[in-house]
Amino acid sequence: MAELLHSPLTLVIAQAVIIILASRLLGVVGRLIGQPLVIAEVVAGIVLGPSLLGWLSPDVVDTFFPKSSMPLLGILSQVGLIFLMFLVGLELDPTLLRGRGRQSLIISHSSIVVPFGLGAALAVYLYPRVSNPAVSYTAFWLFMGIAMSITAFPVLARILTERRLVRSRVGALAIACAAVDDVTAWCLLAFVVSAARSTGLPGAVLTTVLALAYITVMLLLVRPFLRRMVPKAESGLTQNLVAVTFVLLLTSAFATEAIGIHALFGAFMLGVILPREGGLARALAEKLEDFVVVFLLPLFFAFSGLRTEIGLLNTSEAWVMCLIVIFVACLGKFGGSFVAARLTGLTWRESGAIGILMNTRGLMELVVLNIGLDLGVISPLLFTMMVLMALVTTFMTSPILHLVYPPEALARELAETTEPQVAPAVRPAFTVLVCVAYEHTVRGLMTLLDALVGDQKEDSSAYVLRLQPPPERVSAYVPQHVPHDGERAEQALAPLLERSAAAGLRARPITFVSANPARDICSVADVKETDIILLGWRQPILGGAALSGTVFNVMRQSRRRVGVLVDRGLVTVSRVLVPYLGNPHDHAAMELANRLHEHTTARVTILHVVSPGRSRSEPRLNVSGEVEQVFHEPASADGRVDIKVVESTEPTEAALQEMRSGYDLVIIGAGKEWGLAERPFAVQPEYLVDHSPVSLLVVRGAAAGP
Amino acid sequence: MTFGAVLRLLRVDAGLSLRSMATSIGVSNAYLSRVENGHDAPPTADRLAAIAKTLNLPPLLLIELAERTSPFVAQYLAEVPEAAGLFIDVARRRLTARQIRDVRSLIDTVVPRSSGEPPSLGRLLTAESALPLMSCRDQADALDVAATRAAAGVGAHDVAQAMRRRESETPSYVGAGVWIPHAVVPGATLAAAVVTLATPLPAPTPDGRPLQVVVAIAGPSADRRLLELLATTARLARPDVVAALVAASTSDALIAAIRCQEHA
Repeated sequence: MAELLHSPLTLVIAQAVIIILASRLLGVVGRLIGQPLVIAEVVAGIVLGPSLLGWLSPDVVDTFFPKSSMPLLGILSQVGLIFLMFLVGLELDPTLLRGRGRQSLIISHSSIVVPFGLGAALAVYLYPRVSNPAVSYTAFWLFMGIAMSITAFPVLARILTERRLVRSRVGALAIACAAVDDVTAWCLLAFVVSAARSTGLPGAVLTTVLALAYITVMLLLVRPFLRRMVPKAESGLTQNLVAVTFVLLLTSAFATEAIGIHALFGAFMLGVILPREGGLARALAEKLEDFVVVFLLPLFFAFSGLRTEIGLLNTSEAWVMCLIVIFVACLGKFGGSFVAARLTGLTWRESGAIGILMNTRGLMELVVLNIGLDLGVISPLLFTMMVLMALVTTFMTSPILHLVYPPEALARELAETTEPQVAPAVRPAFTVLVCVAYEHTVRGLMTLLDALVGDQKEDSSAYVLRLQPPPERVSAYVPQHVPHDGERAEQALAPLLERSAAAGLRARPITFVSANPARDICSVADVKETDIILLGWRQPILGGAALSGTVFNVMRQSRRRVGVLVDRGLVTVSRVLVPYLGNPHDHAAMELANRLHEHTTARVTILHVVSPGRSRSEPRLNVSGEVEQVFHEPASADGRVDIKVVESTEPTEAALQEMRSGYDLVIIGAGKEWGLAERPFAVQPEYLVDHSPVSLLVVRGAAAGP
Repeated sequence: MTFGAVLRLLRVDAGLSLRSMATSIGVSNAYLSRVENGHDAPPTADRLAAIAKTLNLPPLLLIELAERTSPFVAQYLAEVPEAAGLFIDVARRRLTARQIRDVRSLIDTVVPRSSGEPPSLGRLLTAESALPLMSCRDQADALDVAATRAAAGVGAHDVAQAMRRRESETPSYVGAGVWIPHAVVPGATLAAAVVTLATPLPAPTPDGRPLQVVVAIAGPSADRRLLELLATTARLARPDVVAALVAASTSDALIAAIRCQEHA
């Protein structure tokens, strides 16, 4: 036997077999008492190492795990770690944070700051006792701080999945917190490693500069490159793609190691920036996971276990120290996240669960500890204490969580959890339905929409409705291949939607096929409780009437206010004219002008046309009274509303005359008096529409019934 | 389809609390809640029959929904051993889905169903109410448009509002990207509308699949017809069916696809 193990290769193979078998066997036992696999794997390493097997029969350990084989095993476990950290980075899903960003930021950072502080304080006590003067004090306390504030994202995820907590509020929040925690802790660790390695201030500065340069390169060069790889991966992950990813992974790890912030950081970083869409990340994770988790990871754990010498804890003082370490670790992590969770409004039970979950150190702690031991920042004695601390905190998570969150309570809570509500409870202040039929009308309509919404962007809703005619049936026997242009239609709207989004307005596109556009426009407007339906107008091929066809039907059927924009190059709405004769639609036009007055800086002019004879004999319409009522203030109180009175027998001509003097938009009621009543079939264009030099918004009031 | 989600949907619409249904079928609240949340396997055929009784639905419908057919069929074969030959014939010939459909329609003509016609989504739909490949960015918009097409005899506004209210009580996502918003509106006639989405939308579905098909159903009261229609509609919530529905690009094709899947 001993001769067989003389070759390094047979030795490593035998070690791997023993380690994998031992950790799997203990894993079965661990599962029986409800513990995650990590515990079993670490315990397996400790059992095989000097702590138990070495103590019982040193010969066996010398045969299978001789000191001379340690470097090779160490390298293998490091390679395993590089891939593991890549997987951990991949598992970090930024979408986890959506919707609970603030809460998880607060909880995770307080769950780093508090244990970090306590760890650093503990360092003051431990430094003279377990360290040697060769270690810089700064590096020591920084490292203790970091080692106390680690949370094991992968173990946490595994515990939550096993206990079906992922979908609960606590589970989702804990995962998000652990994710934030991970990123912060690794950045801190990179800093600590560079501080421990560099000899002086210039070295530390250089490392920091190089690390920043590395991050910039990863984000600005490597990430776009990976993005371009994604479409290739969609059709299946080829081995060439896997090779490219591995080369990138190893190069990244090499770069960070060369910089001096440890190879693990590079692997983690690449995992984080790998695009999630397109299945590349998922395919890679699936391919790697089994090999890494089943083969490489146990080697790492065993390596850590072999370096753990519980025999070093041979005095009562050492055991007391170990207990203090464990106590401080739990106090900092549990206390920090518990208090923060309570403060951000979680219940006692939920906060307790968060605290316990965040206290899980798992394998991430071991990763950090091994780095510390390699760097010489911590001694083998402290290493052993900290490994025990990691074991205890991970071990206690499952049973305590069971106490705090019994399955019955969980089932009740999940049953009561109502999913996000569909309907917003608050009715928006202003709701617009913009109907887009022709692309060239979009620009003007969006300008008008922008103006009408004005400063109420936050609490307004805008829907951009695009109805498409149903496809024409060529033959019943030919299989219908209808070019689906819903997406294309939306793409056509995209730039405008983006513009409105940039302006802070939420405009939601809705596109579908409609055989009866007028009815669909009206019913969507009804359902959405819109304040106004905006339609665009296009010069028809036959005739030229603005208010016919679909527009006519919408005006006839709608129970809501309708506005038809006749666009003459509307780019800004700052001077508005409202010709006024006193019919109900004119009143609707005035109300719309008031919206512009209240929510934008536009200046409004009311043009009141009276017939010369009538003005003296009959009681005049009380225009100024009405203006005061609509605009809540007398005309020209702030110089932005004024009334002009014109005597004319031809109201249309009078309005046209005024329109020529520099307005951006004319808002006018759809009354017969203006020659603007809707007609089902009209060949003759409306005179006013035809002759208007500026953009016209023809408004029909909401009172009209169906 | 997620059986638990469908069960909860039917229970809520039947006006039963979790507690009262658990008591009437003799299980614990926690167990029923786990079933509804998908943390436990669908109940056995016997329990399903008890559930169907409290919901006043045909037991077979639930047995089919829960995919608990094998004990039921096995029981039948034990009672009528001659029937085994029929299944063996079917298996030996390796009948395709289409051929099985033909055989079943033959059975329907030879031995007509005793209990009247079950409600069918395919027969309720008209060219108006099948809306393929709508595109929007918010599921609420899909619900609203579907509601306008499912409003018969009442205003679209009332139907949409009732559906939103019902959704805020318990969401009616049934898995595989299917959503069945529905509502009781006095004065309405039983009507349905189907909207398929050109681009799937993220939604809090029980199985995490994005939303692809919205079936809006409105009826005058929460009676057996509405519940049965909901249950038969939920049967469509399977990935292969959803793929077939989303592939339809005209309303006629969409209706044809639904009818075809209902008979399969």
